[in-house]
Amino acid sequence: MIAMAHAVISCLHANFAALEAVLADIDQQGIATITCLGDLVGYGPQPNEVVDLVRQRSIPTCQGCWDEDIIEGLNACECSYPSQLAERRGHLAHQWTAEQLGEENKAFLASLPMTLRRDRLLFVHGSPNSQHEYLLPDMDAFAALERVETAGAETLFCGHTHRPYVRELRDGSIRARVQDGAASGAPSVERQINLPMRRIINAGSVGEPRHGNTNATYVIHHEDTDAVEIREVPYDVERTCRAIVESGLPPIFAWRLRHGFEYAERADDASHVCER
Amino acid sequence: MSQTLLISGPPGCGKTSWILNRLQNHRGPCGYLRLAGYPDEGLVQAPDGGIDLAYLQDQCPRLLDLADPDQALASRPANLLALIELPQFQPPADSGLAGVDRRVIPQLEAMHLSPDEHLHFGRDDLLPRQDTLDFNSLQALERNLAGSVWDPASLSSFWFELVNGAYGDVYRAKALMNLPDGQAFFCNWMVSQEGSQFLPLQSIAPPDCRPERLSRLVVQGKDLDPTALEHTLADCLLSDAVLELQQAPLRQRQAPSRPSPAK
Amino acid sequence: MARWALISGLRGDLEAYEAIQEDLRQTRRVDTLFVLGDVIGPERECNALLERLQQPRRGEMEPQCLYGWWEDQLLAERGYRGQRRADALRLSQGETAIDALLQAVDPAYMDWLAGLQLGFVELGCALLHGSSVAVDDSLGPNSSPLFLLDRLTRMDVNRLFTARSGRQFRLELSGGGIESQVRDLEGQRHHQQSVPPRQVIGIGAGIHYTLYDPGSDRLDFLIAGSKPQQRARGFA
Repeated sequence: MIAMAHAVISCLHANFAALEAVLADIDQQGIATITCLGDLVGYGPQPNEVVDLVRQRSIPTCQGCWDEDIIEGLNACECSYPSQLAERRGHLAHQWTAEQLGEENKAFLASLPMTLRRDRLLFVHGSPNSQHEYLLPDMDAFAALERVETAGAETLFCGHTHRPYVRELRDGSIRARVQDGAASGAPSVERQINLPMRRIINAGSVGEPRHGNTNATYVIHHEDTDAVEIREVPYDVERTCRAIVESGLPPIFAWRLRHGFEYAERADDASHVCER
Repeated sequence: MSQTLLISGPPGCGKTSWILNRLQNHRGPCGYLRLAGYPDEGLVQAPDGGIDLAYLQDQCPRLLDLADPDQALASRPANLLALIELPQFQPPADSGLAGVDRRVIPQLEAMHLSPDEHLHFGRDDLLPRQDTLDFNSLQALERNLAGSVWDPASLSSFWFELVNGAYGDVYRAKALMNLPDGQAFFCNWMVSQEGSQFLPLQSIAPPDCRPERLSRLVVQGKDLDPTALEHTLADCLLSDAVLELQQAPLRQRQAPSRPSPAK
Repeated sequence: MARWALISGLRGDLEAYEAIQEDLRQTRRVDTLFVLGDVIGPERECNALLERLQQPRRGEMEPQCLYGWWEDQLLAERGYRGQRRADALRLSQGETAIDALLQAVDPAYMDWLAGLQLGFVELGCALLHGSSVAVDDSLGPNSSPLFLLDRLTRMDVNRLFTARSGRQFRLELSGGGIESQVRDLEGQRHHQQSVPPRQVIGIGAGIHYTLYDPGSDRLDFLIAGSKPQQRARGFA
């Protein structure tokens, strides 16, 4: 067993073959602690099988945006789809998933917390503020640091973007001049704050990769050395593609998965947060 | 002095582009005729549905349609450049006019057309060399899109899927597509060439209804999946309600401003 | 370029509003009056002020109004915010305050209140009661600069005018930076980012109001009905 190492997985999207392969990869390394960042369902053909396996393995899981949408009976707001085609496909996938998912599994998704915390590690689906906020690797560095700091964490694990990365924010400082209007005639006061080093680690996606090939991705954090490994795991994609077609989902979903594309494009404006 | 050229070649070799270039460089009157071609064994000639003519007429507004019966009867202007396009998979057995497919001649005679020269892509040096393909068996799929308007972002996704094989092994795709701002695009792709062409038409439809001009999709390839393609098309085209939402602000912007009252 | 007057926190006080309007009548080069919410409150009847905001008297500047925390609580309690009610008010001040607020505003004004926006963006400046994150976001002179920078970045503006704290202040980000290192499946990249020269300005509440010149970036913190108590140094 690898001492003091834990695995973080995310965005399973009802892809059973991918989940099996990732869990086998984790097990083979002797890692016992796994955390899941949500989106167990959505687009993929095996929502019940995937939720069953996560429950069976007792994997601590936080709620993803798709999980929330299925429970609430909502669709993500239109602005998160950049085209009518993507929106229609998203709605179809939502409806199909809601019809397929058993009541017990729905109750399980409804019970999932927004965030999970272990010491100074925080686990979220999108960001600490919202399941729908994307923390992209090149977003404003101060804004990224604010997300981690305001949540009271040192390391933030997130998913939602489906592209794994490790981001370190260090040597930060901010100087400010403050003029207090209440203090009559007082000069401005100079302040400087030095910002602590913080990290954001994106676990990628098990079931719907968007990094350019079909491999599932997840991360391993070695707590003793603080090193982070991004893992790529090949799996039997055709098995999932067959399941897509057999389940009655649009065959185009199988084509997109087989070619390493997301099922339906997401909007480019990652700064947008659904106002719902 | 008038000249009549017959240009033949397989799909996607660049006949229409070469023809457009000749038309734009000719100072005098021009005419164009596209023949349907003949279904050689195992190869289905995709009816063009008027896409090439519509595009060429948009780019050369005074282009004469030589298929128009009135044109056949009218006396041809002097210095007319008449270009006849013939889809033809196999290279002619003989060079020059002797190589013209015998089946074409009665058709041309009925239209009072007599080629002075025959050029075939892949054979004649006067034409640019294209990487033409060896076709063994080909299917065709055609969809009339008259009155349809695309969600622009969906069109990009659909075209990407189409040319990358999501709806079968596509060798050639050609279309005239309408967008909600009144623009139309000539979309063109051939498997042997890099990238698609998306060429805007000059004419802009008014933002108060569905455009009446020609709009069509033509696909040639193998193992084509018309069902899946239809499903995607349905998801990409705008309903009346959505189209109205997009056209209403355009109409407002175009409406003449109220004159200010006289002081 | 003409100046803006920014006010907030009137909470039904028509006298205070009239005092400010009188000040503005005697002040040159002010052509826009922004009211950053909290025009209502439970302390007094608010209808007269609401009426005046919608129907300015001759010679008064027409106000551009946003909604603030009190408006949000009332709208929620009156059912304009879906299932949400005035839970924050209920929790902090109890049912008495809820009743007082409901009594203070005639239901005839609800539609006007419901039509108010969260904020304005003008000339690279954002004007809100709290921030774009929440109407109750209290930004003050002692707030963390990291937090304030985030609020500016979210709106991508150079100046953020806010009223929730009730304070008059100007916080100018004057320097600093951060290093970012990203590793992904494509490799590593390194980026150094500097703190942008942006500002957060608290505009005050009640008779404490602010004048701002977007052309020169000059701020004046004022009290209605008196000589200027304190002038903020203009940062060019």
